Amino acid sequence: MRVPALLAAAICVLVTIELVLPGRSLYHAGWYNVALAALAIWCALAARKRCAKAPGALARWAIVIVAFGAGVSAFAGVVSGLFAADNRTVVGAPGERVHLGEIGAVLAFPLAERSDGVRLVDSGNAARSIGARWSDVGSAMLRTRSRQVVAVDARTPGGGHLTVTQPTGSVFLSPVLLMQQRQQIAGMNLPYDSFAVPAAHRIVKAVLFTPQEAATLRGAAAGAPAVLFAVDDEEDRPLPHAIALASDGEAIALGGLQLRPSVISYPAVEIVAAPSLPVVAAGVALVVAGIAALAADAWRRRKVVTR
Amino acid sequence: MNRRISWLLAIAGLAIAAVVVAPLLRPSSNRPAGPAGLVGQLAPVFDLRTDTGAPASLARYRGRIVVMNLWASWCPPCRAEMPDLQRLARLYAGRGVAVVGVNQGEAPQRARAFATSLGISFPIWIDDRQQYGRVYAALGLPTTVIVGRDGVVERGFDGPLTFQQMRSAVAGAVSGR
Repeated sequence: MRVPALLAAAICVLVTIELVLPGRSLYHAGWYNVALAALAIWCALAARKRCAKAPGALARWAIVIVAFGAGVSAFAGVVSGLFAADNRTVVGAPGERVHLGEIGAVLAFPLAERSDGVRLVDSGNAARSIGARWSDVGSAMLRTRSRQVVAVDARTPGGGHLTVTQPTGSVFLSPVLLMQQRQQIAGMNLPYDSFAVPAAHRIVKAVLFTPQEAATLRGAAAGAPAVLFAVDDEEDRPLPHAIALASDGEAIALGGLQLRPSVISYPAVEIVAAPSLPVVAAGVALVVAGIAALAADAWRRRKVVTR
Repeated sequence: MNRRISWLLAIAGLAIAAVVVAPLLRPSSNRPAGPAGLVGQLAPVFDLRTDTGAPASLARYRGRIVVMNLWASWCPPCRAEMPDLQRLARLYAGRGVAVVGVNQGEAPQRARAFATSLGISFPIWIDDRQQYGRVYAALGLPTTVIVGRDGVVERGFDGPLTFQQMRSAVAGAVSGR
């Protein structure tokens, strides 16, 4: 009975690891899932062989339960590994609601001004917070990851507020730049984004520098991130003398605008496929119960023999 | 015994397979993009100020139907739509329906000058951080959201509306359709 028990235990450990250490690309590899399935088939065949030689009904049931539990766990692992959606990161704008079809729920991103976290809202409008630790949501696991974004304040030279829009962004009226694109400048691969100020007929490009990168630039405040702004007209033609660096929180006059960036940390959400926790738990419980029953049966038979 | 075990295992296996596979077969959500996607949700409430500096909040309108129009002075369709909103506000004055213009991202003086030039008398709120524009998933301007008496979003419209469309939408909210 050792072979089926060891195989079943190995399967349970492998699938449980997917829940304890989620998000590894290994779990989606074809060879890994084939190996998992092969282990399950081997376990089933070995259990069938042992079943025929089992000394009694209890031992037979126990072997069947062990093999069944291993099969259940392996099935959950293989389905998750081969058929669930690939791992991805959802970058939402403050205030945005992103629908997750694979889960049948909505990720509600908080406004940057509020301290609420990201919430997962299901079809019944029940909400739960998603934090930095993995949260199991059935066929997937979620957690937040902090990333740098830039909130932009645009005003007239006289200080009057101006609307900021992002015609190509996920949220049209968001003044928070998600900095998802990259641009090469002076050998550095830097986050980049753009926005429009329709009332002033301006389009503004923004490149974000970390404090270390900004330290290499002239005019940047020490120890602070900085944003390089380049102002174009609404035909995307660069305006003369309309490119300048602004440190985090510093207002600069550029291209007929007053621009002030605020570099803030804002959560993105990592989504990884995971085997169904209740199913894996049931499989592991069956394997453990079956092995315990076999051990109890073997002990009972030894006692009878020695008496 | 063997046959019984086989049947039990087959049934249990099918049930577990259904539990594991069902979430993966869930059809993609077909929620509409833009403000219409918020229908049925509680309308978010932000503490704003009017163009004259007085406090303004959607919470004060609980019990009334609110037609919230998101706009900006640089938006030509917003300018074209404003007179019809004013007409709507007059039509429903004192009948439990309020029209509110929520300016997105501009200075109060600019918003007030714009509203005055068009003879607008319904409240103008200043949303300088564009919070309503973000949470209502505005795809552009103007955007109109109708909030019911219970504070729940009843309808959401992207783009300008004709007076007839406004009337029909409000009539639907009033009658509970």
